[in-house]
Amino acid sequence: MAQAPGREPTTGAPVIEVRGITKQYGELTALDGVSFTVQPGEIFGILGPNGAGKTTLVEILEGLTKPTAGDASVLGHDIRTATDEVKKRVGVQLQASSYHQYLTLREILELFGSFYPRSADAGELLQRVHLADRAEARIKQLSGGMQQRFSIVAALVNQPDLVFFDEPTAGLDPDARRDLWDIVRSVRDEGSTVVLTTHYMEEAEALCDRVMMMDRGRIAALDTPPGLVRSLHAPYRVRMTTLGQIDVTRVSALPGTSEVHHFAEGNLEVLELRAEKAPPTVTALTGLAQDAGAEVVDLAVLPATLEDVFLSVTGRGLSG
Amino acid sequence: MRALFGASLKMVVRDRQALFWALIFPIIFLGVFRLFSFDSFGTTDVLVSLDNPSSPSQQALLGALQSAEFLEVTVADQPLDRAGAETEIDDDNINAVLLVSSDGARVDASLIHGISDPIGSSATEAGISSIVDSVNLQLMGGNPPIAFVTERIDSAENTSFFEFLGPGIIGMGLMNFATISLAGSLSRYREEGVLRRIRATPLEPWKFFASVVLAHMTVAAMQVVVISVVAEALGANVFRGGPPFFILAVLGTVVFLNLGVIVAGLVHGRGAVEGAANAITLPMMFLSGTFFPTGSLPDVVRAAVQVLPLTHLLTAMRAFVDGDSVVSQWPHLLVLAAWIAGTFVVARFTFSLEDS
Repeated sequence: MAQAPGREPTTGAPVIEVRGITKQYGELTALDGVSFTVQPGEIFGILGPNGAGKTTLVEILEGLTKPTAGDASVLGHDIRTATDEVKKRVGVQLQASSYHQYLTLREILELFGSFYPRSADAGELLQRVHLADRAEARIKQLSGGMQQRFSIVAALVNQPDLVFFDEPTAGLDPDARRDLWDIVRSVRDEGSTVVLTTHYMEEAEALCDRVMMMDRGRIAALDTPPGLVRSLHAPYRVRMTTLGQIDVTRVSALPGTSEVHHFAEGNLEVLELRAEKAPPTVTALTGLAQDAGAEVVDLAVLPATLEDVFLSVTGRGLSG
Repeated sequence: MRALFGASLKMVVRDRQALFWALIFPIIFLGVFRLFSFDSFGTTDVLVSLDNPSSPSQQALLGALQSAEFLEVTVADQPLDRAGAETEIDDDNINAVLLVSSDGARVDASLIHGISDPIGSSATEAGISSIVDSVNLQLMGGNPPIAFVTERIDSAENTSFFEFLGPGIIGMGLMNFATISLAGSLSRYREEGVLRRIRATPLEPWKFFASVVLAHMTVAAMQVVVISVVAEALGANVFRGGPPFFILAVLGTVVFLNLGVIVAGLVHGRGAVEGAANAITLPMMFLSGTFFPTGSLPDVVRAAVQVLPLTHLLTAMRAFVDGDSVVSQWPHLLVLAAWIAGTFVVARFTFSLEDS
């Protein structure tokens, strides 16, 4: 199991400290000895396919579920004994439908605000996610993107020091997703620490300071997104498009390359591969093209993605 | 806590389906039953065909039939045969035809009637048969050894059917609303993740639960008042029951609220919950004397019905309307108290605020 230590910012005491948390549901082990810390002011991403244990882990940290073994503290409070203290200072976003269908947005925010010792103004909260003109609407009258924005702001009623977002952009189109990313960043910029679960690797890449990859109840990797990619044995993707064929067997024989794919695109030939080092691979490829008398139409070097990282640490794709 | 109760109340009041069960459904029943005229119940139109109207026997029979209150007698212009009688019945102007023919000294009277109203038909049959018997006795010159007189009274206070119905409809409305709406609300909160969302806040879950139940009780109290006002306006005289009537109605609701909690605890899935809640309330609605006195039920069913909470609630509510004292109703109040306690215990162990 490749467990990267991660580069943790060292500002103050950790917001979350998890030590060997295990959760059994009968025969099923949902979490298997998970340990990590989250620092103040981070956007901390938990990435993994369905069933990896993300939700169970977050529910334990929110005080909704008790772990079978291990312990954890959230904002300095033991999650086993000081559940109420944790709940007061933590914001929780669940899926959008988790709100009363017969109340207006304003009424829901005011109701939830009344459960906490300190609460934010409903009007200001709605303003923040551009829903001020929908204050008197009900959940079912909102579009999917609006519902998600509302569920995010509903997690902020108690002006929390730590906020959990549960797949905040699930099922949204790219525009609405970017919109939500801005909102999540603004929550962090105003001083809250953010923990979010997702199974979109581009979301983790764009939004998170650090990403924890989970697989079958364990931590598969934990680092900053660039750190995770750099930890790969072959951290680059090279893509070359040529007019005229080149000898693919000679490409596969190049040192430091793997996963060689080639296919035709109209009258062009496309070659894709993973490379340990970019410059020598590029030089070798252009050389091969020259030898074959093929014209290089396009040549691109891209960093590998978190999907590649996940694949390499678990042997499986994220979507599984 | 006040904000929570206010929000719970809004949720009940804004739930149109709950309001339908609470108010519209019972008021529709009151209105529909008011439209019926129960005074004209029980008369049968009979066409009498005589082949020899001047015969003393036939005259005596006709006279006796005409003096019977439950018959509306018409005499055929000319004698009918069986086929003619069937045609008359099919034309639906009359309920039955009595064909009377003389064969020498002997007179044959045969009654022909349809099967569309079996209860009415057998009553007619029995009635006419007894008239024939008494005419026979009279013609034979005998004095009947037993003189039989019937007199109908509905109750000591002379309650009309609509007065009987009023408390029944109020009880039915309370039961339907409390059980179906509360079961529906709780299962919706669980399914939509509201319960989970609430558990993620510092609010103690029981407070949320209590506010939902209390909101339903409040709406039930308003419901008793609204339906009572409508029933009173239509002539059911429920106001005679005074405070005991209204207090008992609201307390009785607790049984049905508990049943709603039990249903939500045992059955999962919204459609299934509503189905199960209806499966409990519908039979009770028909068996517990909402519309008809339980005395008209078969013995076995009646024994079972004596266990149901709605039966006792309605009996005591009607007794209060009739002016009986609270103390006089202690057996019914005791059964209701047992139901409240029993369903509370069961509800406590079947319903959990934690989702799955």
